[in-house]
Amino acid sequence: MIRQRIDTILRILLGIIFIYASLDKIVHPKAFATAIHNYQILPDDLVNLAALILPWLELVIGALMLANRWVPGALMWINLLMIIFAGSLIFNLLRGVNVYCGCFSTRIQEADKATMAFSVSRDLLFLCASLYLFVRVFKNDPPPSEDPISV
Amino acid sequence: MSALENRQTFVQRMLFQGFVILVLAAMLALTVNQFRGERLPWVGDFSASDGGDAAHDDGTTISLAEARTLFDADQVQFVDARSMDDFEAGHIRGALNLPWLEFDAHIEAVLPELRDDVTIVTYCDGEACHLSKDLARSLKDMGFVKVKVLVNGWSIWRDAGLPTAEGAS
Repeated sequence: MIRQRIDTILRILLGIIFIYASLDKIVHPKAFATAIHNYQILPDDLVNLAALILPWLELVIGALMLANRWVPGALMWINLLMIIFAGSLIFNLLRGVNVYCGCFSTRIQEADKATMAFSVSRDLLFLCASLYLFVRVFKNDPPPSEDPISV
Repeated sequence: MSALENRQTFVQRMLFQGFVILVLAAMLALTVNQFRGERLPWVGDFSASDGGDAAHDDGTTISLAEARTLFDADQVQFVDARSMDDFEAGHIRGALNLPWLEFDAHIEAVLPELRDDVTIVTYCDGEACHLSKDLARSLKDMGFVKVKVLVNGWSIWRDAGLPTAEGAS
């Protein structure tokens, strides 16, 4: 019972986080493109497409998590994205490129290693939550009727 | 249904949902982009950001090639706007360290060292880094005339294999 409550809370939290993270980027795609370009990971030709599609992907999966629909598909993306986000930050930390993460806001700020380390920790925390939820959903599949997470 | 079949259907369902979610997001993104005022081209042009930055050049930036020419002719004073730690880890050879975030604490020590007979070029790291621009503006306000910014200076200088140094200022 408690575990199911935790599942529900995590599902809603992740949904809210992803929707919140998407909004500013949807409004300011150009600024988000600059943020992605700063990571110096994607080829230049793919930067704008990623800046256009990624925020909508976040919005759609956030909405699905909140609505408790298509949770396996949404969770697959959340896990994948969190691995990519945390991975790119860690990659840049290690090679000494200071990037402002552009995680929640496209407003460009100066990034130092402490800020980046904070962003990495936050991403890894979200990743833990989404991995946990993914395992729970997988184990409970097909969900019993009283299960709070539906397919 | 066996446990194995269960898992197979779960993975299939997950992949199918994931694919539809991606298609949906892409359709939404590209449709909205098509109808919005400030449309973002699908493929962006980032060639300007190698230091020349013609698109954003308001006369304060300097290209890597120009900076290098000045460096070779000993006609430049680089000023590193990053933190002392970053500076010590590596900087453009001959640069002075004037961390913008601790400007007041450092300016008195740096000022006597600052050559005003050559072009002063500030830099930091990353396309979006504002430290060098803020520092350049501040130096101009203090009366220095020839002040330029080398955008993303540390990265492009180092990547070009140009002379660097380590240690404190």
